[in-house]
Amino acid sequence: MAIDLPPPPPTAPAVSAALTETQVQVTSGFRGARIIVYGAVFDPSARPSDVVIIVRGPEQPIRLARKSRVAGLWINSRPVVFEGAPGFYMAASTRPLSEIARFGPLRRLGAGLDHLAIAAPAEQRIETRYGVKDMVVSRLGADYLDWRRAVVRLKQKAGLYTADSTRVRFVDRGLFRAEIALPTQAPIGLYQTRIILFQDGRPVSIRDRTLTVEKVGFERWLYLFAHQRPWLYGLVSAAIALAAGWAASRAFRRS
Amino acid sequence: MTEFLQALDFYLPIAEVAVNAPLLVGLGAVVGFISGLFGIGGGFLMTPVLVFMGIPPAVAVASEAGHVAASSVSSVSAYSRRREVDFRMGAVLASGGVVGAFIGVEIFRVLRLLGQADLVVSLSYLVFLGIIGALMLNESLGSILRRRRGEPPKPRGDRRPMWLYALPLKMKFPRSRLYISVIPPIALGLFVGVLSAIMGVGGGFILVPAMVYLLRMPARVVVGTSLFQIIITTTVACVLQAGRNQTVDIVLSVMLLAGGVFGAQLGARASARFRAEELRALLAIIVLLVGLRMGLGLFITPEDPFVMVGGAG
Repeated sequence: MAIDLPPPPPTAPAVSAALTETQVQVTSGFRGARIIVYGAVFDPSARPSDVVIIVRGPEQPIRLARKSRVAGLWINSRPVVFEGAPGFYMAASTRPLSEIARFGPLRRLGAGLDHLAIAAPAEQRIETRYGVKDMVVSRLGADYLDWRRAVVRLKQKAGLYTADSTRVRFVDRGLFRAEIALPTQAPIGLYQTRIILFQDGRPVSIRDRTLTVEKVGFERWLYLFAHQRPWLYGLVSAAIALAAGWAASRAFRRS
Repeated sequence: MTEFLQALDFYLPIAEVAVNAPLLVGLGAVVGFISGLFGIGGGFLMTPVLVFMGIPPAVAVASEAGHVAASSVSSVSAYSRRREVDFRMGAVLASGGVVGAFIGVEIFRVLRLLGQADLVVSLSYLVFLGIIGALMLNESLGSILRRRRGEPPKPRGDRRPMWLYALPLKMKFPRSRLYISVIPPIALGLFVGVLSAIMGVGGGFILVPAMVYLLRMPARVVVGTSLFQIIITTTVACVLQAGRNQTVDIVLSVMLLAGGVFGAQLGARASARFRAEELRALLAIIVLLVGLRMGLGLFITPEDPFVMVGGAG
C-alpha cells in the first residue's frame, strides 16, 4: 500500500513554470496573442531571487540597407545580411538585467537586447592583424555597431523586440507571472521560452518551454498551397480573378 | 469604436499582415469608381495605397496584377459588345506584353535581391506618372481653354509617322483600319509588360496615349483594346509572380475586387455627366499627385537611415 508522502524538500533552489497557451493559432481573425507565463521559485533558504524570461521566435535572416544621398536622391546601399536574429524576442525580468547579473552570464544566455548574437557573417573575415591571430574583422568597419543597433531598433519599432525590466512580477511568495505579447506580424514557427532563476548574479535554475505559432484552417491550407505548388497556385489564382471579373460583369449586365 | 473596427481586421495569409476589411473593400470601391470614370485599370492608384497601408510592396505589386486582371475582365465585355475591341491588335500587343511581364518579374526579383526594389518602383512612378500626367494636363487644359474662348478644337493631325510604314512584317488590322508593321505594337506591349510587373499596374495610362498618338488607332477602339491586352498581360504576370516569388495574395485581390466592381459600374455611369477634356484634366491631376507622392520619399531625409529590405531567405 502506497502512502502519499510529501516530496522531499529540495536541496537546491529551483524554478518551475508553464504557459497558459502552448499553441497560438493564426486564422483570419488573428490580431496577435497574449500568453501568460506563470511559475514558482522553490527555495527553502529564501534567498533573494530574480526571474528572467527570454522568448525567442524562429530565426530569420535580416537584410538591412542604409540610405545615403547620391546626387540629391536617397539611395539604398548594398544590403547587408544579418544572421542569428530571432523573428521575435522578448526579455522580461524582475529588475533591470544589469542589476541582476554581470556581463558574462547575460552574454552566455543571450539575455537582453545587447546580448543577442546578431552578426553579419558574410561581411566578416578572420585575419591576423598587428600580430594577433584569428581577429574577426568586419567589412562594415567602425560603423558595425550602428548597423547592429539599427537591426534592434527597427525590430523594436515593429513591436517584435521588447526588453522590459518590470514585466515579471512576483504576485505572491515565490509565485511569479509575466505576459508575452505577440503582435500580428509575429512570425510563424517555434518559440523557445526560457525561464531563468538568478541568485547572487548567477543562473541557478533554468526551465525551457516551447510555444508554437501556426496557421490553421483555410489560412494554413492557402499558405502551403502558395509555397509548395506555386505555379498551380498562380494558375488557380488567375482563374479565380478572371472568373470573379466575368461574374461581376454578368451580374451588372442583368440589372 | 476602435475595438469595433479592430474586430473587422482580417489577417491576409500570404501578406502576413492584418488589414481592416471594410477599409480595403471601400478603397477598392473608390479606386473602382475612378477606374470606371476614366476607363483605366486603376493599378497606379491601388498599389501605392496598399503599400501605405502596410502591405509588403512585393505582395502589393503581385496581388494587384490579379486585381487588375479581374476588373479589366468585368469592364471589357461592355466594349466587346459594342465591337470596340480590336482583338488582333490586342493579341499582337499582348504577345509583346507577355514577354515583357516575364522580363519584368525577373528584373523585380533581382532588384529585391539587390535591395533596390523600392528605389526603382519610386523612380518609375515619379518618371512615368510625372511625364504622362504633365502631358495630359497640358493637352486637356489647352482644349478646355480653347472651348472657353470659343475657338474650334485643334484639328487632329491624321498624318501617320512615316517610320510606321517603313518597317517590315506588315499586318492588316481591319477594325483599327490600319496596315502597319507589327514591330511597334510588339515593342509597345513589351515595354508596358515590363512596367506592369515592376509597378503593379495594368499600364493603360501609357498604352492608351501610345495607341492614339503613336499607332494612330481610332479613339473608339483604344480603351477596349488596351483592356483586352491588359487582361492577358496581367494574368500572365499574376501566374509568374506566384510561381517565381510566391507573393500573390489571392484573398487580397478578391477583397479589392469585391468593392471594385461596384465602384467601376457607378464610375462608368457618372462619366457620362462630364466632358471628355474635363475628365482628362482631373485624371491628369490624380496621376501627377500619385507620381509626386511616390517620388517624395527619394528627396526627403529619411527618419531612420537604415531600412529592412525584403527578399531574404
